[in-house]
Amino acid sequence: MRLNLALALLLVPLAALSLFWDPETLRAVAARDPALAQTLLLELRLPRTGLALVIGASLGLGGAAMQGLLRNALASPDVLGPSTGASLGAVIAGYFLGGGVLAVAAGGMAGALLALGLLLALAGPAARTATLVLAGVAISALGGALVNLGLSLAPSPYALYDVMFWLLGSLADRSLGQLALAAPIIAIAGGVLLAQAAALDSLALGEDVAETLGVSVARLRWTIVVATGVMTGAGVAVAGSIGFIGLVVPHLVRPLVGNRPGAALWPSALAGAALLTAADIAVRLPVNGQELKLGVLTALIGAPFFLWLVVRAR
Amino acid sequence: MTRLAALLLLLATPAVAAPLRVASLNLCSDDYALLLAAPGQLVSVSRLGADAQESALAARAAGLHRNRGRVTDVVALAPDLVLTSGGDPNAAASARRLGIRVVELPQPQTLAAVRANIRRAGAALGREAAAEAAVAAFDAALGPAPAGPVSALLVSGGGLTIAPDGLAARYLRHAGLVQQAVPRGSVSLERLLADPPMVLVTGDYHPGQMSLNQSWLAHPALAALPARVRRLHTDGRVWTCLGPSLAPEIARLRQEVAR
Repeated sequence: MRLNLALALLLVPLAALSLFWDPETLRAVAARDPALAQTLLLELRLPRTGLALVIGASLGLGGAAMQGLLRNALASPDVLGPSTGASLGAVIAGYFLGGGVLAVAAGGMAGALLALGLLLALAGPAARTATLVLAGVAISALGGALVNLGLSLAPSPYALYDVMFWLLGSLADRSLGQLALAAPIIAIAGGVLLAQAAALDSLALGEDVAETLGVSVARLRWTIVVATGVMTGAGVAVAGSIGFIGLVVPHLVRPLVGNRPGAALWPSALAGAALLTAADIAVRLPVNGQELKLGVLTALIGAPFFLWLVVRAR
Repeated sequence: MTRLAALLLLLATPAVAAPLRVASLNLCSDDYALLLAAPGQLVSVSRLGADAQESALAARAAGLHRNRGRVTDVVALAPDLVLTSGGDPNAAASARRLGIRVVELPQPQTLAAVRANIRRAGAALGREAAAEAAVAAFDAALGPAPAGPVSALLVSGGGLTIAPDGLAARYLRHAGLVQQAVPRGSVSLERLLADPPMVLVTGDYHPGQMSLNQSWLAHPALAALPARVRRLHTDGRVWTCLGPSLAPEIARLRQEVAR
């Protein structure tokens, strides 16, 4: 509880920093044209900060829920395939079916669910780490190949450029409409996941123990898979694929909550929101005059962490 | 020996006569081919050149064979001239290996290079008179660059913009607009709102197709730009190749700017 409070308090300055980034420019614009400064804050900064909080929370929470469910430290949406599935679904919906924003979001969610369903079907119920990661890697590779296939069949050459940049992940120049689309979906799915905390703690004692404690493991599995898939899909459809937050955050949080997967859910969501908001502030520091892509930055932080996990598990 | 060479030269002359079956492999060579070819002379254009979302001259390509930019796509049509411009660098070489005459139109960097490309394509097609007429029409459409140009920003979806010293900016100058310098060739909505240009020219590309870049153009923040920012719109298709089909669009823009 105190951890949650501390993390929530950490979010306040981060969100403020994200909203009021580059205050000199903001002040200058406000002095010249107050209405324009208001537009800048409401139409550009607010969705950016809001999406960073919401999507960061969904990534952290999704990672924690999957790691709890699969009792596996390497589980997270971007390692096991649903992120790639969401990318594929969104690309198909947006570029080949020519759908609007809603269709892209629906495509992303369908793709994520399909990838997760495939993962569980392939790996079986109580899969060993190796099986699970292998299946996840295979699904990710398949999804990635299909995205590339889609790109090479793209209806226009610029679609390639567009999709490539989108897949790098970014929260720049998003709109309130996109926030209004992603936030409710993530809030509902996130609420469903948070409600599974007690069941996940029971599951940590083993499936048989969980069943005797009144947890329907099959139902728990499906609930978490569907909720995580929906959340991942909605996030990817708006922000592109942002890797590694879902993998890293639960590891940072778990030691602080006595390694209980259920207790790690809330802090993971809060820490995910904080980490993504911080990362989205960091990308705005100009490097060579250009804003970095968010997905690139999180991968730059996350990949060494992943390697450290591998070395430690050796 | 010299007589033999002269004989060979004589035998080779048919290649210099106007080609009867011309295939153009790239969107940018289509621009010249569709403008200059005599009726029936062109047998194939690239699929992009025949796509009304990509090419302003697509209507002229109706009924023609469409290729995907490869020599293998057109070899069955027995072309006697292949036009290329950019695209697959191996296409020209493989066409030559098959004994097909190839004329490559380099990507123009200056307006003079566009005129040279028109003449080069015209000579290759045996349509020198049409090429001279096209150059005259090109210059007439561009007109002299108006005095007292206005600072402007040409952006397409996603905030992509053009270099202030490139060919696109030179064209824009003939519409009475001077492209602002933008670091790294792209501008964020935030930058645009914080420091709006006097004239904002937006170019759309595949307007019917949903994409991130497309939704950038529809962002409410763009609509909220102050009224003193003049908004103009341009046909995004003609800015891809910066070829002769851009000139009429420049003439239209110049009229709008002067209004």
